[in-house]
Amino acid sequence: MADTPEAIKKSVKTYLFVGGILFLGTIITVLVATVPALDIGRHGFDAMDCILGLAIATFKASLVAYIFMHLNHEKKAVYWLFGSGLVMVCSLAFLTALAIFDPIYDVFFYSGK
Amino acid sequence: MSSHATTDTGHDAHHDDHHHDPGFIRKWIFSTDHKIIGLQYGITALLFLAFGFYLMMVMRWSIAYPHQPLPEWMSWVFTDGWKARWLQDGKVTGETYNMFGAMHGTIMVFLGIVPLGFGAFGNYVTPLQIGAPDMAFPRLNMASYWIYLLGGLIMCGSFFLESGSAKSGWTNYSPLAGFADGQIVNQWLAGQTQWLVGLVFLITSSLLGSVNFITTIINLRVRGMTWMRMPFFVWAMLVTAFLLLLAFPPLEAAGIMQLMDRVAHSSFFMPSGLFTKSEGLADLSGGGSPLLFQHLFWFLGHPEVYVLLLPAFACVAEIIPANTRKPLWGYKSMVYSVLALGFLSFVVWAHHMYMTGMGAAVSTFFQTTTVLISVPSVVIITALLISLWGGSIRFTPPMMWACAFIPMFGIGGLTGLPLAFNLADLHLHDTYYVIGHFHYVVAPGILFGFFAGILHWYPKFTGRYMSKTLNHLHFWPSLVCMNLIFFPMLVQGMAGFHRRWYNGGDAYLEKAADGVNVFGQTVAQHIDLNIIMSMGAWTLALFQIPFIINLFTAWKVGKKVENDNPWNATTLEWATPTPPGHGNFLKEPVTYRGPYEYSREDCEDDFLPQWSAPRRLDPAIAPGGTESKPVAHS
Amino acid sequence: MEIPYLVTPRKDTGLFNSKIAIWLFLASEVMLFGGFFSAYVFLRLGADYPWPERTLPVLPGLINTFVLIGSSVTVVFAWASLKLRNWRNFQIYMGITVFCAVVFMVFKGIEYNVKFHHQAVRLKDYTVIEGHLGYEKEGEQYVLDHKGNRVEENLIFIEASKLTFNTVRFHKPWVDELLGQAEHRKAKIVLAEDVSAVTEEGKAPTVIAKAGELFSNDLLGRIQKEHLAARSHNGQERTDALRAEWVKAKADNPGKKGWQIASTVNIDAAALAPKLLTEISTVSFNVEPATKFEFKPRDIKEADGQSRLRDDTVVDGKLLASPMVFHHVDAIDFQHLAMKAEAKGLDPMQAIENSWLIQNSPFAKAAWTWHKGEVAKLEKKLLDGYGLGDDKKPRRVPTHKEMYRIGWKDLGAKAESEGGVKLSWMDKTKEEFLGPNYDARGEATFPGFSVPREQVGFAAKFTPAWNTYYALYFTMTGLHGLHVIGGALVLAYYLFFGRKMYLENPEWLANRVEIGGLFWHFVDLVWIFVFPIFYLM
Repeated sequence: MADTPEAIKKSVKTYLFVGGILFLGTIITVLVATVPALDIGRHGFDAMDCILGLAIATFKASLVAYIFMHLNHEKKAVYWLFGSGLVMVCSLAFLTALAIFDPIYDVFFYSGK
Repeated sequence: MSSHATTDTGHDAHHDDHHHDPGFIRKWIFSTDHKIIGLQYGITALLFLAFGFYLMMVMRWSIAYPHQPLPEWMSWVFTDGWKARWLQDGKVTGETYNMFGAMHGTIMVFLGIVPLGFGAFGNYVTPLQIGAPDMAFPRLNMASYWIYLLGGLIMCGSFFLESGSAKSGWTNYSPLAGFADGQIVNQWLAGQTQWLVGLVFLITSSLLGSVNFITTIINLRVRGMTWMRMPFFVWAMLVTAFLLLLAFPPLEAAGIMQLMDRVAHSSFFMPSGLFTKSEGLADLSGGGSPLLFQHLFWFLGHPEVYVLLLPAFACVAEIIPANTRKPLWGYKSMVYSVLALGFLSFVVWAHHMYMTGMGAAVSTFFQTTTVLISVPSVVIITALLISLWGGSIRFTPPMMWACAFIPMFGIGGLTGLPLAFNLADLHLHDTYYVIGHFHYVVAPGILFGFFAGILHWYPKFTGRYMSKTLNHLHFWPSLVCMNLIFFPMLVQGMAGFHRRWYNGGDAYLEKAADGVNVFGQTVAQHIDLNIIMSMGAWTLALFQIPFIINLFTAWKVGKKVENDNPWNATTLEWATPTPPGHGNFLKEPVTYRGPYEYSREDCEDDFLPQWSAPRRLDPAIAPGGTESKPVAHS
Repeated sequence: MEIPYLVTPRKDTGLFNSKIAIWLFLASEVMLFGGFFSAYVFLRLGADYPWPERTLPVLPGLINTFVLIGSSVTVVFAWASLKLRNWRNFQIYMGITVFCAVVFMVFKGIEYNVKFHHQAVRLKDYTVIEGHLGYEKEGEQYVLDHKGNRVEENLIFIEASKLTFNTVRFHKPWVDELLGQAEHRKAKIVLAEDVSAVTEEGKAPTVIAKAGELFSNDLLGRIQKEHLAARSHNGQERTDALRAEWVKAKADNPGKKGWQIASTVNIDAAALAPKLLTEISTVSFNVEPATKFEFKPRDIKEADGQSRLRDDTVVDGKLLASPMVFHHVDAIDFQHLAMKAEAKGLDPMQAIENSWLIQNSPFAKAAWTWHKGEVAKLEKKLLDGYGLGDDKKPRRVPTHKEMYRIGWKDLGAKAESEGGVKLSWMDKTKEEFLGPNYDARGEATFPGFSVPREQVGFAAKFTPAWNTYYALYFTMTGLHGLHVIGGALVLAYYLFFGRKMYLENPEWLANRVEIGGLFWHFVDLVWIFVFPIFYLM
């Protein structure tokens, strides 16, 4: 980790810059969602909006984790510890959502067809 | 190693600069010492286990003698008012049975086995085995115990409410659990709600515990204690801690959502158009999914099985080498297996849900992973079995239990295979076969492992051995009774006995006495097994008394240990004074070699402890250096 | 004894203890919120009602996002200041961080509050009406209940003549409530008939309470005590009797299994009767004269003649008209109705025309006609802007929500176009936070409407009860809010009580602030996902 005073002074600028990017990313997401002229796919909310919104959010989250939470200077062990949570959460979200491929699902849940 | 057991006093003299007499309360009640906390966990967990066992005895009465009043020797516990509310003319009603069933499961799993395995053994032994002075966060450790106790008391306290305690099974499935106790106006005073509140406490407790364990194991290993020199016990605890850390939060999410369903009338798990007998058409928005609850529950539920199991493996893996005087066979493969087991246990959960109709794609995936996960468990159990081969086995009291663990767990594990397959599970789901299967794993399996652990480390806890005679009186009847209870369950299950029949199947007999299942078996054929099983259960309870006597009297009258390492074992906990004082070691130990160096040819004794300094002639061994190779022996 | 690596990192892992612990804790937090996000995906994919897309006002959420990002920047600055041993700067930056947390929670509170006062009702035909319930008025005066509160117009009214209580399960606060209501309306609740019971074995019945005694918790408690004592006594007697019967039956039927003879083993009721005490499981009271009582809809299963409260109290009496009265309707939503119609293969537009609301409310009819015009305009605009696709269909069409929902902004625009009130942009911005401004826009924009009880399918405020979207919204943002509060408390502790540690061991404090900061960033990180999925998607 950047422990010397010089290194920390230097990184303060990075923090400000990253903060700026986070603000900008938020504004872009909101504009895309609220201004009809900026719709990428269909008119209104659709999969493209979802992908774009989550992509920007993921980018912002990675910036926070990488710069603010010092993952850029962090030891390998931390990646293992935190990564284990990330992997498991993906398996949870993905495997539970698999249920939508289930034919029986449609009996219980209304589908728009 | 000293020839006499060092005592606490000697230790205090050494550490006098830090020593303040903490007083009884600080020392025994609000202690931050991992060993005291371990004992607190152990004693509390044993009490909860006894309570859970009692609930089961009442249930077994209802199953074996469904129309007969509960006999005096079981019902004296209750007050007259309580009996009038919950026993109809002295008979166990369906509602009461459900209540006891739900709480039996909950208590055994969350309040009994996990705290005993992870909380008690883990807390006491792990820091000792890695040479740490204490856990990394002693006060967090204390908080963890007290939150656990509070959660347990909240759950069990609900027995005295007007609503009674939770009664929707230990799995607490919605929408049943969402509606149960709906007649109670103040939902915070309903047993079903208190179950959830208690659960949130237990999850918080295990979160604090697991963070503490992992940090301790990563950062507080003593000099020379490299990863591959850690005893298997520590590995198992590390994996257990990870399972608790990552598997419990989704259940906490589910618990919070169900709590919202109950107190804020949301519909997370309530489908549209839900109609119940008690409520009519539910006054709810609907749109939720009961399946979601099951997913979130079993995401915890399956890793939880390994949270129960791994500490038992851990105990047995320590006891077998010490009593065969032979290194643990395949230490490395066991370590890798336990890691694989930990990982895989996160992706098998939906095999509990084949009958929900969640779909062929999902079922196929989970069927595959479920079959996969049997590989690492079989590797471990086989390694334990082979460890016996060619050893000079000492049948010490702990070793008897450890030896019984292997076949008992083997039956439990192998009977699980048919349940892994979708097709077989369709027939066996929710029958006594399932009950038999997981009780074989938990009761004669895991509990035997823990009895072994208690007997093995008791000399370290107290400086005295537990009585051999009383142990014989405990062990043999327990072994017989366990099989008497659980083996007939497998038979009954295949004949189609449903696990939730509170009257043991005779109500079913009235309606469908001639019903024959695919194996050509009828309920009438096997209904009398109920009586044998119940007798077995009550006898089992009777023969726990020698253990209880042994546990408490040996503390004062047991045979004293000859030295600090009575079993001539190799791992670091035996390098401490007996019992270890605050701070554990008299001087910081150094680890020179792997954990199971028994019967080396270059060594006079048949064991070479991890902490014993090497002779100068042996240049290969140095602190922090490469591992010394155990020498093969005939 | 000292725990090693409290401040300095261990060489081989490169980490000090609390660094490992916080990352583990965060991994666990990822799983916790991951559970909720999975639930979001699962419930949204499987929703059987129109998922409320982009339904929350964006502005408060956006401001909160900025506040949290800003505080994330200042918390690293605070940590950097400590590393540079600059206490003053640390105080400033940490102060800003904690202040940001307070601002965040205030905005959150405003958002919650608006929703908790906003009513929605789903009619039996799945039309949804949103708006504001008022309080009952007589002339210009508000009607007050016995506690001096205004009577909200979503209550069930029953002209009760008789109340029958379950002596075990009666809910004490409700007893007081009923007493208060009766007193307020100058009615008396009195015991219907003498309650007499055998309270000692073999003795004659004694009168516990006399007919005409006034209703109270004490009286019910007294009867309850007798009942429970009798129940305990009788339970014991009956158990003993049944045990004796079983002993006899087993002797009479040697070789038979318990379940084979069970049906023949019964207590001899006649023989046992003299030993038993009287159980008084219910007790009835007369209301003199029959009086109007009000009940919250969730507490009662109402019916004309006999209604039942959740605590098993039976209320005999006439069910009075209990409409839900909206003083202001601010949205009419046919999305759910259209969805149901489509599922049945019906034309949604026709179904809407036939809906109960359009048939019965001239305002709704006018609004719908106006709205159809607006949708046509939008359709044309989209067609002109984007043209037809390869399949000869318009590239872009109005969304389901635009077609079938008349929101409060639409109603506002309608009134404006008809020469109604126009609001300044300041007032309009205020509406973004506080919801529609009924006072300024007036009756013409948001008229009142009364929904008869029999048309109500499901009614709720905009709370977790309204639908799974709001349930998720409140649960996730609420949990996130708890994290904000927890994090802010820890950071505030360093700010106000950190000076001593700073002087003794500044590196340790810096480590602690780093740990607290890591948690704070994580809270920000969760919000980065929560904001788009609830406000923008």
